[in-house]
Amino acid sequence: MDRNQQRPRSSILDSLGEELIGILTPVSICMFTVVLLVCLLNSDPSSSSFSSIATAAYSETDSDSPWDKLLGAFLNSLVFVAAITVATFLLVLLFYLRCVTFLKLYMGFSALVVLANLGGEISILLIDRFRFPIDSLTFSILLFNFSVVGVFAVFMSRFSILITQGYLVVIGVLVAYFFTMLPEWTTWVLLVALALYDLAAVLLPVGPLRLLVEMAISRDEDIPALVYEARPVIRDDSRLVQRRVWREQRSNVNDDDVENNVVRAEEEEEQRSEEISVPLIDSSSSSSRPETFLEGIGLGASGAIKLGLGDFIFYSVLVGRAAMYDLMTVYACYLAIIAGLGVTLMLLSVYQKALPALPVSIMLGVVFYFLARLFLEVFVVQCSSNLVMF
Amino acid sequence: MEASRSDESNLSPNRDQRSNLNPAHNSMISSGQVWPTIDGPLGLTEEASVDYARRFYKFGFALLPWLWAVNCFYFWPVLRHSRAFPQIRNYVVRSAIGFSVFTALLSAWALTFSIGGEELFGPVWDKLVMYNVADRLGLAGLA
Repeated sequence: MDRNQQRPRSSILDSLGEELIGILTPVSICMFTVVLLVCLLNSDPSSSSFSSIATAAYSETDSDSPWDKLLGAFLNSLVFVAAITVATFLLVLLFYLRCVTFLKLYMGFSALVVLANLGGEISILLIDRFRFPIDSLTFSILLFNFSVVGVFAVFMSRFSILITQGYLVVIGVLVAYFFTMLPEWTTWVLLVALALYDLAAVLLPVGPLRLLVEMAISRDEDIPALVYEARPVIRDDSRLVQRRVWREQRSNVNDDDVENNVVRAEEEEEQRSEEISVPLIDSSSSSSRPETFLEGIGLGASGAIKLGLGDFIFYSVLVGRAAMYDLMTVYACYLAIIAGLGVTLMLLSVYQKALPALPVSIMLGVVFYFLARLFLEVFVVQCSSNLVMF
Repeated sequence: MEASRSDESNLSPNRDQRSNLNPAHNSMISSGQVWPTIDGPLGLTEEASVDYARRFYKFGFALLPWLWAVNCFYFWPVLRHSRAFPQIRNYVVRSAIGFSVFTALLSAWALTFSIGGEELFGPVWDKLVMYNVADRLGLAGLA
């Protein structure tokens, strides 16, 4: 076969199974951990003492009518999506002005805040729940260690792959858990709104993410943001040493055009501080504290799949919110999200450009949640109680 | 899929020949080079590793034993092949020793605290334990 003489055209379909597993495993771990946290910490679904920008316009109470809740949820999502758009355009502007150091520092700082602040709070909630007899000195040393090494992992470009991936998943879990504490209607409308926003931002020519990706390609640079990259699959025919080089351009012998593998889709995710306001956060300027979580899926320099951290977060938020109802909805939503992710990866291999990873999965997830909640549960309960099926 | 399988079958006879020559260093020679990091060919080269190992070792003194542990984990091949990288091995072994000492001290304190409890410490225990500290400082009030 002439494959042995020329360098074979390596498309993502060659090792699709291994690369799929490389992405599905961390997504599943993230979702599983968030469901576990939700079930363990069992936060009261009706208490909405959680305030962030996503509840700035309207905070839900139990006594409102469904129409009021829906309207309020729309307003909340509008505010949130508007804030994210502004923050993403700010990121595009900064990237255009080549303030890359500032962005990297900001990324490290936001990772530190998430790990120390949110991580500390969740650990304290867990300790409270289980009455674990740990003393404050040990706890602070452990938390300090954990967060500082996490900042190293995120900040430094050449670090152990496994540890960097682990820390990114942990950051995703922490942020997702906090987002599950939003009021219920707001969460669902927000997820749908973000899916639509992602679609627009990546595919429209005026979308901020598309601008960002095009700038990164034209300058042949990295976008400094939190992105999960699966371990690149080492094929025997490739040049192993240069696999990790980000700006590598591989030219296939078969094709005339140079295949540029530095393609990504990113979107910035903004996170407002939670009600536990640390003074440092309050004293920051009127512009928000955008944390550069990214959304969207693309191919890294070595052909490994990159998935933005925002995708991890919102998949987990969906599943976490489903867990607050019942585990049956969790199974349904998990399968829907994984199917959506598979579809997105297939599209990625076909189109070979940056794609939004949220829309398909979120839409499937939301549809399946409501179907399971409204129809499936009744059916299964009836079958079980009549001893037809367990 | 077919292409990848045929590639492997092309490579394996070469490997067999090499392994017949030198069975002891089979893994080293067939990959062409020993990589100092656990990521293998995806990780650092040897020159960069010395710099990294030294920096991790120095930073670990800022009460960061977990950084020492990460150092040992990352440069695990250095610990395994004891003759391979003398400069890196220096720092990695010292990191391992530092991590073990620190962990021993910290776990001694933590275990004494949790097992001893109130009988050993008296009322101070209640002041030091984490969930009370969190309640006092209002850290745990989230939901």
